[in-house]
Amino acid sequence: MEKLTSIKEEGLAKIAACESLHDLQELRVLYLGKKGPIQEVMKSMKDLPKEERPAFGQQVNEVKTMFADAIEERKQVLEIKEMEEKIEKEKIDITLDGQKPNLGNLHPLMLIQQEIEDLFIGLGYTVAEGPEVEEDFYNFERANIPKDHPARDMQDTFYINEEELLRTHTTAVQMRQLEYYAKQNCHLPIKVICPGKVYRRDDDDATHSHQFMQCEGLVVAEGITLSDLKGTLEFLAQKMFGESRTIRFRPSYFQFTEPSVEVDVSCHVCGGKGCPVCKGTGWIEILGAGMVHPNVLRMAGYDPEKCSGFAFGVGIERVAMLKYGITDIRNFYTNDLRFLKTFNRFE
Amino acid sequence: MIISKKWLGQYMDLSDITIEEMAERITDAGLEVEGVAHMSSGSKLVIGKVLSCEAHPDSDHLHVCQVDLGDTSEQIVCGAPNVAAGQKVIVARVGAKLPDGEIKAGMIRGQASNGMICSLLELGVDAHMLSEESKNGIEVLDEDAPVGNEDPLGYLGLDDAILDVGLTPNRNDCMAAWSMALETGAILHKEVTLPYEEGSANIGTPTKLKVSSETEKCPLFLGKVINHVTIKPSPKWMKELLMAAGMKSINNVVDISNIVMLETGQPLHFYDINAIPAQEITVKDHQACTYTALDGVDYALTDDDIVITTEGKPIGIAGIMGGDDSKIEDTTSGIIIEAAIFHHVAIRNTARRLNLNTDASVRYQKGIEPMATFKAMDRAVALLREYADADGIEETVQYGDNHYTPVAFDVNLDSINKLLGTTFAEAEVMQVLEDLHFAPSKQGENIHVCIPSYRTDISMEADIAEEIIRILGYDRLPSTLPYMPATLGALDKRQRMRRRVRDILSNLGYNEAVSYSLVSKKHIEDAILPCSQDIVEMASPMSEDRRYVRNSLLPSLLGCIAYNQARNQHDVALFEISNVYGNHHVEERLAVAASGALQKNRWQKFSVDVDFYTLKGLAESMLEALGFSNNRIRVQENKLDTKHFHPYRSAELYLGKELLGIFGEIHPAMAKEYAIDDVYGMELNLEVLLNNKASKVKFIEVSKYPSVSRDLALVVKEDVKVADILNSIRKNGKLGKENIIQNVEVFDVYTGEHVEEGHKSIALSINFQSNERTLKDKEINEIFDKILETLKHDVDAQLRA
Repeated sequence: MEKLTSIKEEGLAKIAACESLHDLQELRVLYLGKKGPIQEVMKSMKDLPKEERPAFGQQVNEVKTMFADAIEERKQVLEIKEMEEKIEKEKIDITLDGQKPNLGNLHPLMLIQQEIEDLFIGLGYTVAEGPEVEEDFYNFERANIPKDHPARDMQDTFYINEEELLRTHTTAVQMRQLEYYAKQNCHLPIKVICPGKVYRRDDDDATHSHQFMQCEGLVVAEGITLSDLKGTLEFLAQKMFGESRTIRFRPSYFQFTEPSVEVDVSCHVCGGKGCPVCKGTGWIEILGAGMVHPNVLRMAGYDPEKCSGFAFGVGIERVAMLKYGITDIRNFYTNDLRFLKTFNRFE
Repeated sequence: MIISKKWLGQYMDLSDITIEEMAERITDAGLEVEGVAHMSSGSKLVIGKVLSCEAHPDSDHLHVCQVDLGDTSEQIVCGAPNVAAGQKVIVARVGAKLPDGEIKAGMIRGQASNGMICSLLELGVDAHMLSEESKNGIEVLDEDAPVGNEDPLGYLGLDDAILDVGLTPNRNDCMAAWSMALETGAILHKEVTLPYEEGSANIGTPTKLKVSSETEKCPLFLGKVINHVTIKPSPKWMKELLMAAGMKSINNVVDISNIVMLETGQPLHFYDINAIPAQEITVKDHQACTYTALDGVDYALTDDDIVITTEGKPIGIAGIMGGDDSKIEDTTSGIIIEAAIFHHVAIRNTARRLNLNTDASVRYQKGIEPMATFKAMDRAVALLREYADADGIEETVQYGDNHYTPVAFDVNLDSINKLLGTTFAEAEVMQVLEDLHFAPSKQGENIHVCIPSYRTDISMEADIAEEIIRILGYDRLPSTLPYMPATLGALDKRQRMRRRVRDILSNLGYNEAVSYSLVSKKHIEDAILPCSQDIVEMASPMSEDRRYVRNSLLPSLLGCIAYNQARNQHDVALFEISNVYGNHHVEERLAVAASGALQKNRWQKFSVDVDFYTLKGLAESMLEALGFSNNRIRVQENKLDTKHFHPYRSAELYLGKELLGIFGEIHPAMAKEYAIDDVYGMELNLEVLLNNKASKVKFIEVSKYPSVSRDLALVVKEDVKVADILNSIRKNGKLGKENIIQNVEVFDVYTGEHVEEGHKSIALSINFQSNERTLKDKEINEIFDKILETLKHDVDAQLRA
């Protein structure tokens, strides 16, 4: 009996003092296993008088239970301790470089093009495309620029032969669209934008490029007005250059529109007060536009008495250069990775 | 178009408006004033008289002058070689502000100098308007110049300001000062009076002169003999106007031809009457010859050029320049006037070829208003009579016609307002039309307009609408959005696919490039799977580098890689989507080119380097995302292009039976030519994807039962393809109605120690799973044994010991 008491006290003390899960496991084997002081004591039970045996057995079992509880309790303490020690050893330097996934970028011209496409899609337009190797017919004839017309001097053209050329404007796509819809029983309304590459015989320098991108727009329906053009372009200017932008029209001349206008947007840099970007005027010329010339409608098969339309054209490079402050147009075509990497976000 | 305020001021009262305000209002109305220049400038100027002029004691070129300034006399040191006592000169007083700075009192080599005797250059007059004499020294005024006059610039007629107006091609009528004046009057709402008397040329005695044309390129020719003229200097007003127009005064007769051209836009040519004794002028083409024009240069004329001839020999290049032997000299006593129309395209071609853009040829090219020929003849006769003692005038001879019918039509104010989206009132619209000299009159509901001959750009209501809005001002235009039934805005299939490709590639680290479509011969020769054998070639390219339209994309990207690698950018991944062209053939293509690492983190020694398998995986993943699962895609040995690609590290890519593209390592020889290193490329024809149906998403319930994985290591001959091993394994997966082999993955390929020479070891992991129940070990073992058996049969594979 006394022996059991001393085993209990010694055992509980050992468990409480145990400092590792490994040692604790050994103690478990010692005190709760098949060989150990408890078992020794159990063996001595047969020497006891019969009537004392049950009470002794009960006491032994109580001690065993105490051991089991103490070990379990200690185990939890030690597990927490061990985890804390492990965590302590797992320190890292969080200031080292992360594994930054290398995201590629869309070309800035494409960013602008997509932005324009998306805002016109929102207005119910579709996006039309056409060939860059174009027929003189769609590029000039249908656009009300007959052969030998002085206006052809305005745009020096890459001719391939008498009939074919590299399109000088995406107006050619507009003309194809007009023809396409005219063949569908003069379907109205027509609402398209025509983005794409165009070509002119310009020597490449900081502000000229023999290849550049345009996005033109065309709306034909009953009762389309010049003021509708203004509202639409105001929307475009505000989406591209900020909500507080205003636009102004100045009279101009294009063969395929009448009236024709140049469109200025209030300077997004100075807000219209005058700065080097707008050359002190507060305005930046951004696109050309006008009401579709009655001859153009008529040639395509529409009756200008019954419908009217507006058209506009914006230079993608011009918008990108203004928006991002790029001063040399050649940057767009060298594809220097350091340049391309700059345009890494949608705005 | 250059026109001075004084010139316009002859025709209307401009005293109440500054040149700057004029410029702004003209610009707002659509004739863009690109510049305003003052002909000269300077404050505190005065006309002085040089009283004495002594050599400077300490200089070999300076003079010390005493100059009478009217109110006072000053000593001025002058360095001009032409200064002399007795001259009337322009003096800038101390404190005067000149274009190059302020005049200060001071000592010049010990001699006091209080002012400066000026040359016209120093007063800001454009050098090309000055004679050599004027350029090289101080300006010497006429003897009767008033000493003490404090406006010497006004005295010289140099107090003018010049507008440089950019004309749109529809308003070339404003090349003529008279049209410009009428336009300015309409813009400024001012009364305009032109010095034009219709019919001034309808005088003269019967003539022997015969004019005719043998070419369609000259539809109208007026000729007139004036037997007597006196050659002398032009009057001051004429000299001043010419100077303001940037032309030099020569003599009264030549100046009149130029003044009339400037006023009416119609080039005139005056021949010395003695050079045309036959009194016969014929316009011809097909007269190829070498011809000396009045600038003394020999020009080679072709059959296309129009030539003025008399007695079969040329006396002028029509519309461009007269001949040396018929030009007006000081000895000229009589003239023949030519006022003619020549076809603008012919003139353009000749002027371009000869590189000879004269005042006349420019006007012919831009078009001359139909009545100008007659107006010019009238005006020339009037001026010659007044300023050149013209006498012995014979009647005008006319060949051909101007084929002009006056334009008049009705417009409707409502439909104009409807086109513009405005609510302009009738009264203001009538006023605008009145100011434009369109002679508006009410005709019932409509307004009838009669268009002046010089407004060849006006022929319909839309034109009138533009006139109204530009004169009334675009600031009065409201802003609205089109009102109509809703339309559906959307991208089409091609556009959606293109955007998806862009997003996939850019999100995987590839940067989008845009390069030039026009390329060199080398690019064409290096085409990857050229879209056509017929190359699109420019008729007249700007350079050899930009002669052809590209028929494949990848060479452009290789150029971009070279550019970047040369600038120490070694991890470069690019793609481009663009059309490529052949003769009547267009294809949309995608090219990818990459070199170095796609992803990396150096301190972690982590890096995804580009190789053949990077592009293969890219193609497979991208195609899968576009709806072309890998069982529709075939990658096979490259037999098509081993010139530009490494023959063993490249492959052809097929969708079903259609060739989709080619990818792999750029051939070392090609890489060397492009000065690039370790580059992998791919070129795909997107048309194939657009022409084939993409698979739709097919949902299959995820299996609820556990999967079992078994590994095996095989030894096979080195030339055995993994694809054959995989096929051999997969065909054994049948259990009941389903195939329970879900996936087979290669996780090691090994050659070397412990593997027999000429053999390789391939380690694979096979994943089994049923959708119907938990698989039993026995079932899997049976299939596994079958797999081993088949592998042995198909590819002679042994289990690795």
